[in-house]
Amino acid sequence: MRLLSLLFFAFLVRFIHGETHTWYFETGWVDANPDGVFEKKMIGFNGSWPLPTLRVKKGDRINLYLINGFNDRNTTLHFHGMFQNGTGQMDGPEMVTQCPIPPGETYLYNFTVADQVGTFWYHSHTSGQYGDGMRGAFIIEDDDFPYDYDEEVVLTLSEHYHKNSDELTPAFLSRYNPTGAEPIPQNILFNETRNNTWKVEPNKTYLLRIVNVGRFVSQFLWMEDHEFEVVEIDGIYVEKNTTDMIYITTAQRYTALVRTKSDTSKNYAFMAAIDETMLDVIPGDLQLNGTNYIVYDDNNDKPEAVTVDSWEDILDDFYLKPLSNTTLFDEPDLTVTVDIAMDNLGNGVNYAFFNNITYTRPVVPTLLTALSAGEFATNELVYGTNTHSIVLQGGDVIDLVLNNHDPGTHPFHLHGHTFQVIERGPAFPDDEPTDWNATDHAEYPEYPMERDTVYVRPSSYAVLRFKADNPGVWFFHCHIEWHLDQGLALMFIEDPMGIQNNPEQQLTESHKNACNKAGVPLEGNAVANTNNYLDLKGENVQHKPLPTGFTARGIVALVFSCIAAFLGMAAIAFYGLADIPDVEARVTRDLNVEYEDDIADDEIITEDQPLRGSQESSRSNRSNRSGKVRI
Amino acid sequence: MVNVFNVQIFFIVFREALEAIVVVSVLLAFLKQGLGGATQDPLVYKKLRKQVWWGAVSGVILCLILGAAFIGTFYSLRNDIWSKSEDIWEGTFCIIATILISLMGIAMLRINKMKEKWRIKLARALTKPPANKADRFKIGYLTKKYCMFILPFITCLREGLEAVVFVGGVGLSSPATAFPIPVICGLIAGVAVGCLLYYSGTTTSLQIFLIISTCILYLISAGLFSRGIWYFEMHVYNNQTGGDAAENGSGPGTYDISKSVWHVNCCNPEIDNGWDVFNALLGWQNSATYGSVISYNIYWLAIIVVLFLMHFEEKNGHLPFLKNLTLVQLNPMYHIKGKKKNNLTKAEQDELFANLKNTKIGGDEIDNSESIESSKEVKEVIPVESEKKKGSL
Repeated sequence: MRLLSLLFFAFLVRFIHGETHTWYFETGWVDANPDGVFEKKMIGFNGSWPLPTLRVKKGDRINLYLINGFNDRNTTLHFHGMFQNGTGQMDGPEMVTQCPIPPGETYLYNFTVADQVGTFWYHSHTSGQYGDGMRGAFIIEDDDFPYDYDEEVVLTLSEHYHKNSDELTPAFLSRYNPTGAEPIPQNILFNETRNNTWKVEPNKTYLLRIVNVGRFVSQFLWMEDHEFEVVEIDGIYVEKNTTDMIYITTAQRYTALVRTKSDTSKNYAFMAAIDETMLDVIPGDLQLNGTNYIVYDDNNDKPEAVTVDSWEDILDDFYLKPLSNTTLFDEPDLTVTVDIAMDNLGNGVNYAFFNNITYTRPVVPTLLTALSAGEFATNELVYGTNTHSIVLQGGDVIDLVLNNHDPGTHPFHLHGHTFQVIERGPAFPDDEPTDWNATDHAEYPEYPMERDTVYVRPSSYAVLRFKADNPGVWFFHCHIEWHLDQGLALMFIEDPMGIQNNPEQQLTESHKNACNKAGVPLEGNAVANTNNYLDLKGENVQHKPLPTGFTARGIVALVFSCIAAFLGMAAIAFYGLADIPDVEARVTRDLNVEYEDDIADDEIITEDQPLRGSQESSRSNRSNRSGKVRI
Repeated sequence: MVNVFNVQIFFIVFREALEAIVVVSVLLAFLKQGLGGATQDPLVYKKLRKQVWWGAVSGVILCLILGAAFIGTFYSLRNDIWSKSEDIWEGTFCIIATILISLMGIAMLRINKMKEKWRIKLARALTKPPANKADRFKIGYLTKKYCMFILPFITCLREGLEAVVFVGGVGLSSPATAFPIPVICGLIAGVAVGCLLYYSGTTTSLQIFLIISTCILYLISAGLFSRGIWYFEMHVYNNQTGGDAAENGSGPGTYDISKSVWHVNCCNPEIDNGWDVFNALLGWQNSATYGSVISYNIYWLAIIVVLFLMHFEEKNGHLPFLKNLTLVQLNPMYHIKGKKKNNLTKAEQDELFANLKNTKIGGDEIDNSESIESSKEVKEVIPVESEKKKGSL
């Protein structure tokens, strides 16, 4: 009996606490040819690419040892969508929640998946790396999945560049790219390859977990003669919503049921297309559409590409209702309004701004500042004036108003939370960006849509609402990696005292080791000052703005030039007025002319005289002259 | 208003016409003054004057042909070869023009000082074909004879080409009715300025007129030099950014910050009406680079230095600090060609002296005045020649 109860107890314990997954992954460059037309190196784990799809169950614990196998760069890892409640230093973004992991070092990512279920993904949070391949799907299975299905399939989408970030990023963030035009990809990938085949069986229900693991373009997804029944977005179950076409931005996830036909006489196309409005330029050889195959029967022909007439029929995720029936959160305690804009600073480079601040990284990772700042941790100043840090009080409801002054679509992602999307405006013309009107706006939905990555339309606005119930330092940024490189990011310092008071949040040994080896201070304010947290002298700030008019240098140059012109004209006048004794000889010599005989006055022709004067006079005159004056 | 009068087209035509007309009218006034007056040589004067007009007209015709060719390829082949290399074209034209005008200006200043008869002699000598027919095709001869043709030709060609291509490109967005009036008005305005210049030139003293018009020419030329350098730098920047930065207006990103000396977001000669005239006359740029500012100042410095050297040599017979050197010896062509011609042999010198003696004795008034002049001239010639001989030895 005791054994039974012991076994039962052990079973319960394991059931409650879940499994522990231990992985050792070493980063490194791997030869690959993802789009089939260009051999290049991608960033792989343990010598292989693509990265593995990690599967866990609700409540499991993750122990991921990330070994930096590079020899010339740092790395980090972010589990996109995980709340990391109490485990802020496992979130991943460099200089926000952790020191970067230098080459050769190992960092332990140790956290629980807690209550979250659904389709997620993991990727490097060091600039340029996930675009170069360091990304993979992360599935949290739910034994109580609300819908029935026969088989689960993971689909990752992304764009693909032939060049690596080492080449693309410096060329992008350069004064020779003053418009901030993002580099154009060469192809799109469907499960990290092209022209992929999905072998299906008839009369089955598949659970399709779709993740956009790209770094730039949003994609349209549609199947020939099949529908998507969307059941989950970004880890939030929603009421079933059937659609023909899905629009998915980078970092978003859609999980949909796909019911296959009973007829196996035909194979069908599974199309993916780039949202071409996001590309500055569309090169002639870029294929915007990718064709993949839903194959019922190998013996039948491969399907042809199918096109659509319009991009209007996409599922508008604003209208998805969470299955949890969560109602609109209460009135906000704090409303943060940010204007999104792109502009050039004094070095000629195009940067991205939230309210005229472009995110500039501090010397000490912000979470480490929050942990070490003591009573000053609630003072936004200690985090730096150029990191755009906003301190939130624990338990508050926060409204985040995004006014997009840029004529481009931006997918914004908040770490550590999902948020309710309570309003999203339509696209406005490029030259008339429209702000959200606090006094005159649409009624908020009763059961607003919830997710962790949402797009704002061009020149339009969106309002997000979330609860500050997760003490930590949470990055909020555009998930187009080019824009993150341009500084389109801000940070929420949520309940800093709550962070300090939680022993689990204290730095782990692996974290301290990484900081020391990377040469990053473990304590201090944004400029590593531990004596006076309010003294920010020497902090990293953004470049000065471009001079708008004449600087001192310009005025000096203009005055000098005017003086030079006046002196020049004076010299001309002086020379012009001066007498030269033998100018004729000089000029004729310099112009190298030969004169014919000397000319007397009467030889000068007027119009009614013949060409030569009287022979006599000319002869007589001539005899007294010198001969040819050859000069 | 825009439908019948496109302001941008007016300013483009006015600006282009202005530069060409200034050059042509200064030349014409110079000819009239230099060879006009009581002692005319109308045939030579007419010849040279015809050269100027022929130069201008053929420049205009050629530019219309070339401009039509550019516009034709743009529309039919969709190949905008003009705009891809636009900055190189513009820059090269500017540099060529500035060289021509600079040389012409100095020549004009010196010719100004010659006594009238000598100017006429010069004019006749320039237009007379050489005895040896083969020599007719020598470049040196041709450039001298047709110098009055070359400068207006190149100037009108350049200005006209710019105008035609701009108007052809600008006109895309305007209805056809908006063309004729601004083009005509622009031409009339330009011609009016030219006439003003011509008549004021022909009525004031030659010296003052020449000085003023040379100042104007050199201001334009300095501006052209600066613009040429600016265009080349713009071309480099456009290649680096992969596009035509100037098309984005005047804001950030249209210029290279690392080379900028000043930049204002207004007053852009490429797109703001009226400022292009300022640019044509004085080389104004709203976005000045180190290259354009330094080249402007260097140009004036060079002019001042050359004028000073010329003046010094003319007063003292040699360059400063170098007793044996004269400016003309710095010209490589002198050493190749000119040496022999400029040195009289001993026998020729003797002959010259003998003739001089003869002319001094008696003769009528005309002879006397002539002889005084010629003897003065010969006197000056010989010491210079002998000095030169010393130098060449």
